Amino acid sequence: MRYAVRLRITYDYPAAVTDARHLLRIRPRRETDQFVRNVAVSIAPRPEEQRGETDFFGNPVDAIAFFAPQTELAIDMRADVSVERPAARLSETPEIERILAETCAVRSLDAGSPLHHLGPSPRISGFAPLSDWVAETFETAKRPAGEAVMALARRIREEFAYRPGSTVVGTSVAEIFAERRGVCQDFSHLMIAGLRARGMAARYVSGFLRTDPPKGQPRLEGADAMHAWIEAWLGEDCGWVGFDPTNGIAAGDDHIVVAVGRDYEDAQPIAGTFVTSGSQETRHFVDVVPVA
Amino acid sequence: MPPDTVQLRRYASLAAKSRDEMIAPGGAVRPHWTPLMRRLAAMPGGEVERRFASARQYLSEAGVFHQVYGEESEQSHDWPLGHPALIIDRAEWTALSAGLVQRARFLEALLTDLYGERRVVAEGVLPGVLVGRNPEFLRPVADQARLGIPLLSFIAVDLGRGPDGRWWVLGDRTQAPSGAGFALENRVATSKAFPDLSRALNVERLAGFFRNFREMLFALGGPERSRIGLLTSGPHNETYYEHAYLARYLGLLLLEGGDLIVHGDRAEVRTVDGFQPIRVLWRRLDADFCDPLELFGASRIGTPGLCRAVRSGALSLVNALGSGILETPALLAFQKALAKALIGEELKLPTIATWWCGDEAVRRYVAENAGRLQLGPAFPATMAAAGDETSAQRRSEPQAMPATAREGVAFVGQEIAALSTTPVFGASGLEPRPVTLRAFLMRDEEGWHVMPGGFARVADSRDARVISMQRGGGSIDVWIPSDQPIKPISLIGPRGDRFARRLPGALPARAADNLFWLGRYAERCEGATRLTRLHAARTTEGWAAGELEARLAVILKDYGVDIDPGRPKRGLLALARQAADTASRIRERFSPDAWRTLNEIVSLVLDAIAEDDQATVELTSAILTQLSGFAGLAHENMYQFTGWRFMQCGRALERGQATAAVISSLIAGEAPVGALEAVLTFTDSSVTYRRRYSVDLSEETVVDLAVLDPLNPRSLAFQVNRLAEVTSALPGVHLGETPDLLIRRLARLRVRLQTADAVEVDSAFLDRVVGDLSLISDLLTQRYLLSSPRARAEWLGGPE
Repeated sequence: MRYAVRLRITYDYPAAVTDARHLLRIRPRRETDQFVRNVAVSIAPRPEEQRGETDFFGNPVDAIAFFAPQTELAIDMRADVSVERPAARLSETPEIERILAETCAVRSLDAGSPLHHLGPSPRISGFAPLSDWVAETFETAKRPAGEAVMALARRIREEFAYRPGSTVVGTSVAEIFAERRGVCQDFSHLMIAGLRARGMAARYVSGFLRTDPPKGQPRLEGADAMHAWIEAWLGEDCGWVGFDPTNGIAAGDDHIVVAVGRDYEDAQPIAGTFVTSGSQETRHFVDVVPVA
Repeated sequence: MPPDTVQLRRYASLAAKSRDEMIAPGGAVRPHWTPLMRRLAAMPGGEVERRFASARQYLSEAGVFHQVYGEESEQSHDWPLGHPALIIDRAEWTALSAGLVQRARFLEALLTDLYGERRVVAEGVLPGVLVGRNPEFLRPVADQARLGIPLLSFIAVDLGRGPDGRWWVLGDRTQAPSGAGFALENRVATSKAFPDLSRALNVERLAGFFRNFREMLFALGGPERSRIGLLTSGPHNETYYEHAYLARYLGLLLLEGGDLIVHGDRAEVRTVDGFQPIRVLWRRLDADFCDPLELFGASRIGTPGLCRAVRSGALSLVNALGSGILETPALLAFQKALAKALIGEELKLPTIATWWCGDEAVRRYVAENAGRLQLGPAFPATMAAAGDETSAQRRSEPQAMPATAREGVAFVGQEIAALSTTPVFGASGLEPRPVTLRAFLMRDEEGWHVMPGGFARVADSRDARVISMQRGGGSIDVWIPSDQPIKPISLIGPRGDRFARRLPGALPARAADNLFWLGRYAERCEGATRLTRLHAARTTEGWAAGELEARLAVILKDYGVDIDPGRPKRGLLALARQAADTASRIRERFSPDAWRTLNEIVSLVLDAIAEDDQATVELTSAILTQLSGFAGLAHENMYQFTGWRFMQCGRALERGQATAAVISSLIAGEAPVGALEAVLTFTDSSVTYRRRYSVDLSEETVVDLAVLDPLNPRSLAFQVNRLAEVTSALPGVHLGETPDLLIRRLARLRVRLQTADAVEVDSAFLDRVVGDLSLISDLLTQRYLLSSPRARAEWLGGPE
């Protein structure tokens, strides 16, 4: 499927801000199942510094800086992306013990290594009630691990309410688990924490969803803004496989990967600091339209 | 009490339970302790106590202190220095040093591999999960070893002597080791107390080690010998005193994250004279706090962009970001194999035996030996992860044994260290106390060098397992006696350089900011105290509260002082604390005496509050005496350069604004009875007035003296003149160039006060001056200081 992707993020600062430094992770990743053409990022006002870089996990990064006072910031990204992501054959994935053994045997620490995604990370830590909750899904351990992971994604979809505005960026996994509600980022953190508690490597994915569904299918949650889902490492043969707990589905041709990392902190679309005495207001617009 | 034979015998019996540094098995004093003991025994009664007191006196005068967490407002405590020093035999030290140098080489090779090829993981020597899950494996600098800059240049190793008599490595300190400055202070204090002893024993000096370290830092900066910074986490850190002390001792700029800015790939210091490049930082700030953009998004004390400066090679950190990974306890379980793979040698120093529970067989072994082994975290604790459950577990002991190897990944089992004891003078003479030794090493082009001495910590009781300054332990000096006399070395500049007097380099904006506010706060405290005294004195003299009292109450309320009986002390305390806290942030630029003066004001008020003392007049008089002592020290003892000028600016601005505002309120409309006396008392001009004018008060003459007279150091005109003089010498102000708005506004105000007639000085005139001064303060802040007081570092809100 081929898409025209557009992202627009704007900030208004009632009191001027100075010494701003930002990292943008908004360009779709180039991957074997995701072909990216003509990425254009435009930023207003024009940054005093702008560099294109690649971070540790291979995500494209725009590093920008403004030192002079500014009262607004507008970021616009357009890209032409083709996704050909064959559905993973979950029934053919190994059983969990074999995946865990293969994970332990990994001797690489490169960008795609599962070893980075096993333990606590800045926004994710495990806790006992969650481990027990996940264990229920994995109880029938002999079945292919991919199916168990899929079942977990569905369970999150069923047992948790999608409530935009009910959580903030800093809401912890424990709070999400107790309140049983959140947004895509929260469900992704929750699922990652659960899989890691089971010993599996799981990573956070930030990206785009197709805005309008194909005829006859329901509109997916999270299509109006940047979306988040997860990838689980299912052994040397399968590698990283995507699951979307917000929608209870496997990541497919409707998902466009922008950045991966241990959690939101590594993959957030726009990170930054500045000096100000005032507040800020942000707006965020996403459009992902299929093209012929 | 000097240790005579009776005492030594008593000590020997106390120390017989464990390995002792001084007493050999059998009860004899070891040979390298004999000269010290003989000399102590020869001292007349009371002499030893006098010596201790002189060491304490030195430490207190030098302002050595340490912070203790968890108490109300992080109190500073006296430095707990014990006596005598730990003495280590020369030959033994030589062997220990060789082991330490080898260990440093090993650690450096390991760090270079982990931030480079990661061969130890690829070859299966180290389980990859110990790197992948490690909070100190910093991905933004994952390939930094490829730059070829040394990643490790200053480390510490904690040692304890085991029952077998060997020194065992208890842990490595590679992130930002503390204690070297305290070791230096302990040495100075101990030498003050026992100058004859340290000379007679030919104790090796520490200055040479620090001189070489400083040379190494400058060499890292390249041929232009640019300035070197010491990056501190700021005054709330428990070792801030040490940061300030070492910065002063080594001639480094004491910098906080906010003092630095990254432009392009270069790190620069914000100074009152613009941005100035910096190439080398001695990092005493944990890595996760260094860069809020790439390392720990919640850090408020870092420098956004620092990682990019490091990656580009334009900024060298001692030690590198991520060097804390070497403090991972689980590494100790693999170090034999690691040493073989990396340096091809057996390590000479034994390490405390450690088992990593990430392997099922090992986990079972640790579980079976739970009584003998202590379970601990496998990974280093970081502040960034402070909210998660694992670090909560780290804090609360004991921990539950992991049930599976998967859970065991985060745990190690370690043998419990049995420590040797060393003699320390306690209430009843010499007592054996468990001791650990922190040794320091630095690296230059020739290789690693050990500091001849160290930082020894002693427990406060005989059988403590944990030695911590936080829990009331103390520290002692460490002496390595030599056979030959020791040549004196001091920290003079690079050998061969000729001395030339130079002005200090540009002042960091934060230091200027603090000095400016110190000037303001000290003056503000004085103004409020004077008004409080004035109000209290009138009440004591029996004046019925009238219009004047009402006006004073309103003015004092603006200062945060409530004049109801018993209340003013609270307000004065807040003001005194504000001044003392600001001073504590710039201790390295400040005389300890002046700092102490401000702290004594806080104590004065606290005592008055505690005793519920109602005598406000006496208290305020005592505060004013202290404040004049502070002003005198600041004026007479401070180097009169840029920093001093900012302090003067703060003082003159505050005094000018207060004088104008207070007089305006007192004479507004129908001036109440007593207002003119009050003006003279507030401006401390009563005596001058009486000498210059008749006894009768007239508004015109009072206003002339308090507002317009340029020779009265308390007048408004005097403040404005001083401000104009001081600002004309600030960086970037050049006669003959078009003056900027700050200088122009100041000049205009000055002329207005020079040409005004006393009759036109009314409330409106004074209120306008208050407005002018506040604009001048803003302009000064914008141009030279950090930013407006309300500005703060903020994060960009993410899209939800």
